[in-house]
Amino acid sequence: MDTLKLKLGPTIAAIALIILLLVGYVGWYHLWREVPTYYESPEEQFKYGSIGTENAEGIPYWIWLVLPRLFPEKLPGTGGYTSLGLTWEEGKETPVGIVKKTIGFPRQGTNCAVCHNATYRQTPKDKPTILLGGPANKFDAQGYLQFLFACANDPRFTADYILPAITYNHQFSWLEQQIYRYLLIPQTKKALLQQQQSYAWMNFRPNWGPGRLDLFNSVKFRTLDLPIDNTIGNSDLMPLWNQKQHQDFSLYWDGLETSLKAAIHQGAIGDGATQKSIPLNDLQRLEDYIQQLNPPKYPFAIDQTLAQQGSKIFDNNCASCHAFGGARTGKVIPVEEVGTDRHRLDVWTQGAGDASSQFDLQRTDGYVSVSLDGLWLRAPYLHNGSVPYLTDLLELPENRAKVFYRGYDVYDQNKVGFVAQGDEAKQVGFKYDTGVTANSHQGHLYGTELSADEKQALIEYLKTL
Amino acid sequence: MSTQDKPRLLQTLGKRIWVFVIGTVLTVAIFLVWPFLWHNGPVRYTDIGEHFKYGSIGGEKANGIPYWIWKALPVVFADKLPGPGYTSFGFIQEPGKDLPIGFSKSKIGFERVAQNCATCHAGTLRETPNSQPQIMLTMPSNTVNLGAYIQFLSDIAIDKRFSATEMMPHIEAMGAKLNWLEKLVYRYVAIPQTRDALILQGSKFAFMDRQSDYGPGRVDTFTGYQTRQFNFPVDKLSQDELNGIADFPSIWQQGPREGMQLHWDGNNSSIDERNNSAALALVTPTTIDFEAIHRVKDWLLNLPAPSYPYPINEELAAVGKPIFESTCASCHLFGGSGVGKVVPIEEIGTDRGRLDSYTYKTLSNQNTLFTGISYRGVDQRFNHFRKTNGYASIPLDGIWLRAPYLHNGSVPTLRDLLEAPDKRPQTFYRGFDVFDQKKVGFVYDVPSEGNRQYFKFDTNLPGNGNGGHIYGVDLSAEEKEALVEYMKKL
Repeated sequence: MDTLKLKLGPTIAAIALIILLLVGYVGWYHLWREVPTYYESPEEQFKYGSIGTENAEGIPYWIWLVLPRLFPEKLPGTGGYTSLGLTWEEGKETPVGIVKKTIGFPRQGTNCAVCHNATYRQTPKDKPTILLGGPANKFDAQGYLQFLFACANDPRFTADYILPAITYNHQFSWLEQQIYRYLLIPQTKKALLQQQQSYAWMNFRPNWGPGRLDLFNSVKFRTLDLPIDNTIGNSDLMPLWNQKQHQDFSLYWDGLETSLKAAIHQGAIGDGATQKSIPLNDLQRLEDYIQQLNPPKYPFAIDQTLAQQGSKIFDNNCASCHAFGGARTGKVIPVEEVGTDRHRLDVWTQGAGDASSQFDLQRTDGYVSVSLDGLWLRAPYLHNGSVPYLTDLLELPENRAKVFYRGYDVYDQNKVGFVAQGDEAKQVGFKYDTGVTANSHQGHLYGTELSADEKQALIEYLKTL
Repeated sequence: MSTQDKPRLLQTLGKRIWVFVIGTVLTVAIFLVWPFLWHNGPVRYTDIGEHFKYGSIGGEKANGIPYWIWKALPVVFADKLPGPGYTSFGFIQEPGKDLPIGFSKSKIGFERVAQNCATCHAGTLRETPNSQPQIMLTMPSNTVNLGAYIQFLSDIAIDKRFSATEMMPHIEAMGAKLNWLEKLVYRYVAIPQTRDALILQGSKFAFMDRQSDYGPGRVDTFTGYQTRQFNFPVDKLSQDELNGIADFPSIWQQGPREGMQLHWDGNNSSIDERNNSAALALVTPTTIDFEAIHRVKDWLLNLPAPSYPYPINEELAAVGKPIFESTCASCHLFGGSGVGKVVPIEEIGTDRGRLDSYTYKTLSNQNTLFTGISYRGVDQRFNHFRKTNGYASIPLDGIWLRAPYLHNGSVPTLRDLLEAPDKRPQTFYRGFDVFDQKKVGFVYDVPSEGNRQYFKFDTNLPGNGNGGHIYGVDLSAEEKEALVEYMKKL
């Protein structure tokens, strides 16, 4: 008997150990196993590679996929995620800027490209042309977040409602079913509701609309956990291309940063990456990519003779602040001088600067005079996107459009910018009212006194940038 | 006898009673449950023709209608049918068969009816009204009014007679040999659930109220796709995307078509993906029977188009041959430089409804279908869909049997297609299967035959325009006649 006991003890222990290891392995496999998203081409990496957001803020892919089908009434139109301005390339599984990465289970995340790919169409019947690095003019980031939050708040956000929609498209194993039913679906709901809390400050501010973010309030209230204040930082997305020509430029609209590397890290963290998950090597590849990425050429006809005339007008009126090599290009111009809406500048308070030791972002007193490469695709204009066309920008503020629509990507070759008025723009677009706080289209009066002919020539030249 | 014997005896008796009771219950239970467990699985036929006509492609699991309900519908709702029985929708009934062509019956717990490829890709042909209809597999269905069938299923689902009380007596009268448990399942599960599923399906097809009638031989491929696969809200679909009603295509000789721009607007160049996409009208990504579909695919790869069965004036055809070669071949003959490629809408000039009904947002969502599903080691996720700007010029093999012509079936015969649009028939009848050997197409001036009404096609309705494709309209009358004679031989 004793010898039996002696043998039984270790046997039981061994079996228990094996079971434990097995359970551990299965658990690791289904919850933590990380499969890197590496693309040979830097362009593919930019569009679909992970920047480390999935560990903390990744939504289980299958849940993300079926939400628009289960809650279509919470979207602005038909088309699933495309109605929020996400753009699929032909043949690709996820939209540009949406990552699918397996960490235990496939998760959906976002990367730089979600906000930094622009599209345009020549006519409404065309398919979109995607231009990487451009400001995502039709992506409604706030609408996207609000859609996810609305889903999470819906009492139907349960396994009973969600699982059948998933298994319609994808066969789950028994174990996966249980993991989704008892872990991932309830956890996703909880996480989205928590995330909604961290964005509650949005509810008391004007809507961003497509192509804009309140990036630095997000940094203040979400990343740095600073007390809520009354500032409004709604501002346009910026292009990322051609960084090789932007050495030593001040970055962001108000020039808070001068290091591109730091700005990229801030972007990844703002997007949901953590100090642990941030993939430094992949971000280095992105940095190299946007250094070399050329701004897209204007795709329509240009009157070269007229542009030639405009070139001289540009040299006399704009170049010192806006041409590469200009004395003030890439530097902060005091807000009193440029006269544009000051809300974005005031977002970064002294307190924020003090608290952001990890970022070292120091408050400035104005807005950066940006270079104008790829300008044609960067409409609407000014930091808050308050002027729909270049032609409007060369008019006095009282003659600029007071109300227009953003997010419609059909191009207006006469006014230079996206079609922002008329029925079609109204139907898909976001109503931008320049009377709303932080949306003012005042300031930047340069060139408004040119003659009509001069303006026309200047605009023709600006198309060539 | 000791005093202890009595209880022991009782104990034994008690045990035996229990055994008896449990045994009986088990026997009855097995007897009742047995029919649900036996012969489950998709219906298979060894003969490929039978498989095409009656084999399952996986629809029963997804949205199969319980067999006895399906059988009872035309009896209970006879007043909602255009004529007697399912054949009044133009479905083809072979003698001695239980179901019409294009329907399969498989047992999953109980027998269910679903549809397969042959619903839309089989037709009939008669030389004269008195001839026996000849069944032509893989031709575009010329008789089936799928729209009317869908509408019928939507209508009956909200009819109060769709209830166990109303339907069970009919089912039993039709000879259903259901045991007590099966009856219960029918009464309390199958009938109410089928009704709910059909109501849901009806709501996804509600856009049909805003469309021209399909009539026989046509369907709107991509709108139902948007509402059924992606749940796009029906009421938010924009009107200019709702005119995509298109003719069924022939499906013979697929091999030489590999790599061509398939579908009327040429939106996909992969045969497999095109097939899976078409199957999604009847199955889901997880219930699709790849094996069954690939059997059909393999059969179709080299299946020749049927030869013209009536006399051909060879002399005249010989005159037509060079005309075809100089006027049509570059776009329409296998090997032609433009065949299987999209011609821009501005150039082809045909009705743009079908082109506009396929949108970039549909394409975007399609890219996610069949994610993570593979067949024979090949990832099945859709990645070949493209948004085009026109219509594909198709090879004309067996063109004689593919009337009416153009993508929306707006021109009844080949001879009419060679006339300028204003000289083509403005209205005509579809669904009649008697062949017009002179004009090449189906006779189109017959509004009814017996108790069957044919469908009046109005080219002035949205999506039905008969304009465009004006190639050959300037030929002389003699040249046109010769060209049409030659085209019978394709």
